[in-house]
Amino acid sequence: MSENAVIEIRNLTKIYRDFWGRPKVRAVNSLSLDVKPGEVFGLLGPNGSGKTTTIKMLLGLLFPSEGDIRILGKPATDVAKNEHIGYLPEESYLYRFLNAEETLDFYGRLFDMTSAERKQRTDELIKMVGLDKARRRQLKEYSKGMTRRIGLAQALINNPKLVLLDEPTSGLDPIGTREMKDLIIKLKEEGKTVVMCSHLLADVQDVCDRIAILYNGELKQLGMVDELLASQDKTQIVSSSLSDEAVDEIKAVIAKHNGTVQEVTNPTTSLEELFLQTVAESQARPGQRFVAESEKAANTTTVD
Amino acid sequence: MNLNFDKQPIDILQALANWGLIFGVLVCIGLAIALIMSVANNKKKGVSRFFENLGEGLRDLFGMSLKRLGAIANLTLKEAIRRKALLVFVVFAVLFMFGGWFLSDTNNRAELQLSVYVSFVLTAIGWLIFPVALILACWGIPEDIRLRSLHTVVTKPVKRSEIVLGRILGFIGVGTIVVGIMSVLGYVWILRQVPEEVQSRLVARVPVYGSLNFRDREGEDSEAGVNTGDINPYRSYIEGASKARAKWTFDGVSPGVLQTDPETGEAALLVENSFQAFRTHKGVIDEVLHGQYTLVNPETDLRVQLPQFPIYEFRQNLAWIPRELIYYNEETKETETKDLFDDMVSDGKLIVEARCVDVGQFLGMARPDLFLRLPDRPFASSFFKSVFGIWLMMVLIVVLGVTASTFVKGPVATILLFTLILVGTGFNQFMDDILSGEVRGAGLVESGIRILNHGNPIVEKPESLEESAAVQGVDQAFTGMLWGVSHIIPNFNMFSFKAYTASGFDVPMKVAVLPALLMVIGFFIPCLMLGYFSLKLRELEAK
Amino acid sequence: MSQLDSKSRKLVYFAGIVVLSIPIIFLGMPSRGAEGSGGKLAQLRGEYDLGEATLGKVDPSSATMNLVLLGFRGVASSMLWKQRIEQQENKDWAGVKATTESIILLQPHFLEVWRFQGWNLAFNVSAEWDDVRDRYYWVKEGAKFYQEGTVRNSKFPELYWDTARVIGSKVGNSDEKRYFRKYFLNDPDEETFGGGADPDINPNGIDNYLVAQDWYQQANDVEIMPGIDQHILMRMIFRSYPARSQFDYAKALQDEGLFNEEGHAAWEKAYDMWTTKFGREVFITPAGGVRLEFTDKDLEELAAEDGVTVEEKQYWTDKYQKNVNYRYWRTLASAESEEAARDAHRNIYDGKQLYRKQKFQQSEKDKEQGGGTETWGAMEYFDQGMKQLETLLRDYPDLKNEMAAVEEAMLAVMYWRNIYELRGEAIPQTFPLQDIWEANQGMVPEIQLQFQRENTY
Repeated sequence: MSENAVIEIRNLTKIYRDFWGRPKVRAVNSLSLDVKPGEVFGLLGPNGSGKTTTIKMLLGLLFPSEGDIRILGKPATDVAKNEHIGYLPEESYLYRFLNAEETLDFYGRLFDMTSAERKQRTDELIKMVGLDKARRRQLKEYSKGMTRRIGLAQALINNPKLVLLDEPTSGLDPIGTREMKDLIIKLKEEGKTVVMCSHLLADVQDVCDRIAILYNGELKQLGMVDELLASQDKTQIVSSSLSDEAVDEIKAVIAKHNGTVQEVTNPTTSLEELFLQTVAESQARPGQRFVAESEKAANTTTVD
Repeated sequence: MNLNFDKQPIDILQALANWGLIFGVLVCIGLAIALIMSVANNKKKGVSRFFENLGEGLRDLFGMSLKRLGAIANLTLKEAIRRKALLVFVVFAVLFMFGGWFLSDTNNRAELQLSVYVSFVLTAIGWLIFPVALILACWGIPEDIRLRSLHTVVTKPVKRSEIVLGRILGFIGVGTIVVGIMSVLGYVWILRQVPEEVQSRLVARVPVYGSLNFRDREGEDSEAGVNTGDINPYRSYIEGASKARAKWTFDGVSPGVLQTDPETGEAALLVENSFQAFRTHKGVIDEVLHGQYTLVNPETDLRVQLPQFPIYEFRQNLAWIPRELIYYNEETKETETKDLFDDMVSDGKLIVEARCVDVGQFLGMARPDLFLRLPDRPFASSFFKSVFGIWLMMVLIVVLGVTASTFVKGPVATILLFTLILVGTGFNQFMDDILSGEVRGAGLVESGIRILNHGNPIVEKPESLEESAAVQGVDQAFTGMLWGVSHIIPNFNMFSFKAYTASGFDVPMKVAVLPALLMVIGFFIPCLMLGYFSLKLRELEAK
Repeated sequence: MSQLDSKSRKLVYFAGIVVLSIPIIFLGMPSRGAEGSGGKLAQLRGEYDLGEATLGKVDPSSATMNLVLLGFRGVASSMLWKQRIEQQENKDWAGVKATTESIILLQPHFLEVWRFQGWNLAFNVSAEWDDVRDRYYWVKEGAKFYQEGTVRNSKFPELYWDTARVIGSKVGNSDEKRYFRKYFLNDPDEETFGGGADPDINPNGIDNYLVAQDWYQQANDVEIMPGIDQHILMRMIFRSYPARSQFDYAKALQDEGLFNEEGHAAWEKAYDMWTTKFGREVFITPAGGVRLEFTDKDLEELAAEDGVTVEEKQYWTDKYQKNVNYRYWRTLASAESEEAARDAHRNIYDGKQLYRKQKFQQSEKDKEQGGGTETWGAMEYFDQGMKQLETLLRDYPDLKNEMAAVEEAMLAVMYWRNIYELRGEAIPQTFPLQDIWEANQGMVPEIQLQFQRENTY
């Protein structure tokens, strides 16, 4: 694999042991992968698949049972690597008695930044994550979304080369999620490498260049998102105002071409889309509460 | 408070050597265990891992960033303040608002009252800072780990050593604020509470102690005087109107020790004693016993007898010795004049002999019972040195607590440290007594067997025990363990200087303050290392 | 309960709280002050006199401390106790006092704690000090401590009795009694008390035995309340103490050479207290109630009341009288109330004073001139006093069996003989009190010691 990889994982295994030292769980099993500079890499998998364990091993919070990790060319346990890493934990584990400014100032100090630098960077980041109005409030008064934002801000305090995001969109409302995704894309544009893990396929799909899918600690899929999605031999036709007769006709057409109709439904839109649309509409036309079903009715036909 | 002043200054070199030895042995044991563990866990790579970690450890310990330390210390301080640790002041305030009711006792003698007030304030500060330091130090890091806020910190370029030391410094900061404010309030409280008539006794006396020898009733040199049956063998007694003498030799006596005698207005040497009287017959009931000093030049053996003085027990018996000594020479039968320094002192050495005047009565004395007094220092000097002692204790608790909290959880660390302090406060003497054989108890197994056989320690050892090598061996091992424990657990009584302050003495630097300070440093270094390595080598995530 | 909605769940909780409160209220409701009000516990507390307030004055600091310590006050007070012993061994007196106070805060109603610590202060700590004024200070501390005990525990007769004992016997009958009795009236701490008595233990500035008498009387007043017992002495002896204190008072005045009306009145009052107050109390014996001071009519009445024979009553009365030496004290009081007794004591006392001044005999010149008693020497006073004492003992032969009287007689003879020896003259063959002197030769060494003691200070 390439020499200049930001993260190299070789044969990584993590076994959790019980009190007597007997193996209990094999959380990660012989995982090997590379993350290249400048890409957005997604670690996917259901809960308990080993994503978070892997990230924590990358950061030196957990020690591998076997295998090697090199991150920015240094071993995972070397604290010097942290100079260029930004980490957003699964939930923002911050000091709840500090306010936003103090939080960023504190983490800034940990990077040995000068007072002027810290001030400037704090200002920038608070504005960037939209917490300007709440900058003097203690974090314990923050909502979950706000905590997430300040968490992100602290992860970027050192203008890192590599950003590790653990479930970046968890706990965020759809707008927050969208903003987070935009931000990830922006980070990529700035040339940073981003590694994120998530079990929300949609999030990953939208922003990642490459993904790895873990299941039970094992790597199941690895590759470019487009490629992974494109490999599926399916065609989706979405139409509106289609009569039953028309549907039958289309079915006939498909049958004629040796296709098989798998599913004919009247589906709802995805919740995220609906929510976004509703919010967007409410903002555009205040006072309107209800949109009639009939106007919106749509038929979706998925064919093979 | 009359006892326990008989402490000699510590031998710093010896102390350092002892410390170095124990420290070295512990480090070696620690390294050996680490090496074995490393090999066991990492197989072939174990040895290289071990040395990698060791090198990294040394780098981390010596290359800490002040800014990061400051940041963590500052964070700790803020945390404590915002988490209302300072509520302890409420308790303090309540204690002091009502303390006066509990303590003031119009019947009690004002001078006794004084020591009660001073003890109360110092005890209160000590007792209040103790739980604050204990709980803060033991819960800080474990809470940080539990809430995972430490994750965010360790994923910054922060060395674990900086976390340990930063936490320690932060907690010390909190403790310093608490101790500082409480001590100032306590000081003011004492000044306000102490009755006016004894305000003048709020001073810090500065004693110069000598070395003590005795002569028995025949005038022969002897190690000690007579034991009159006091439970506490602290004082030795000399017989009245005999040749028995107590002889103090003072070093470094120079005109600098003189102060102004308030009566004559001239420079004089102030000698204070706290002798005790013991009567073998009632004598004259309404008259106290009398003593008499003789100044002796250790080289020329010139003797100058001073006037007799009454002994008021448990009070300050002062004698002003003028520079110009006018006395009656028994041999020449003439009144002569001598100079205190030119004639009586050789090489800075001066001997003061004391005798008991009354026939058949005894005077009891211990080394600290007679001393030369330098000009008094203000009470604040003694008070704040005592506070410094409390501060040192707080520092040690913080250091130990933070260290413990790097490898066990909060409650466990608290209990561990609490036990340590309990043992270090209450059982130090007991352990020493067992080890020195002062307390009869035999070994652990042997005692157990004796208890089962209803045999007390005075009963002869059963023969079966005498021969049983197993029992002896096990007991020896336990005794060895006890020896280790007694040498490693700090003696927390070392930090209590309140006996000095409460009895109106200044706290001596060499005898009291310095050993306590060295002890804190002596614990600080290994604790920092232990804390660092255990935080570094543990998985923060693992629960 | 999961099927219930939130509202009904809350209702169930509320009902539970109400149901559970009923026994709590029933048991624990505090009394409103009226008899029988409050919950069951309050009623029981009232019934058995266990309430803090009924035991004595409540000290809020003590109550708070015990609350704070939860159930650990026993442990805490044991630790303090140990600490106090250590402090005492180390002669840390301020610490001893402070620790004792703390123990009391923890155990305000534990009789033995009060008794032990009070004794410790008055007897043990005071003995550790050399200056007699310091000793007196600690005796006072002990007395005050006991007094405080009576305030906190108004129903322990023992504590009143202990207070009286310190103020009476310790002050009045120890080696230092000459000083202590004086200090009791004029405290040595002149700065604080301006030369008067310490008002905390002697508010009226009267003799220590009179103050003690008052405390003994209070002890008796408490002891006689229903349901209260004392456990230190046989009841009859316990109750004799107020009168005994009056005897001590009269005796002390006599010993100090006060033979005026006050001394006389003291003896008369002693007689009165002994025979009309103490003597008329009814004490229960196996044969029913008896009175130590009785007439035949009393005896018959009491016998009839209890259905026993007069002889039986008589037997038990005798027995009880012997227990407290009733007849001796009675005789003594009536003898000492007489003019003759006073004269005898006064003459012997004056004789001793002159002996100490080494004026042994009236000078020849004064004798020739027929000089009055003011010119007498010790010898003349002893002669006179011994004669009077002999007459007195003849009138009250009971006294001959009693130590105090015999001692006085023996001592007088010893002085008298001593004067002869000092002057190198032969001791006359016959002399007053000769029968007593000869009958009690076994006591001579003891009397010798007393003689020396009286002449060595």
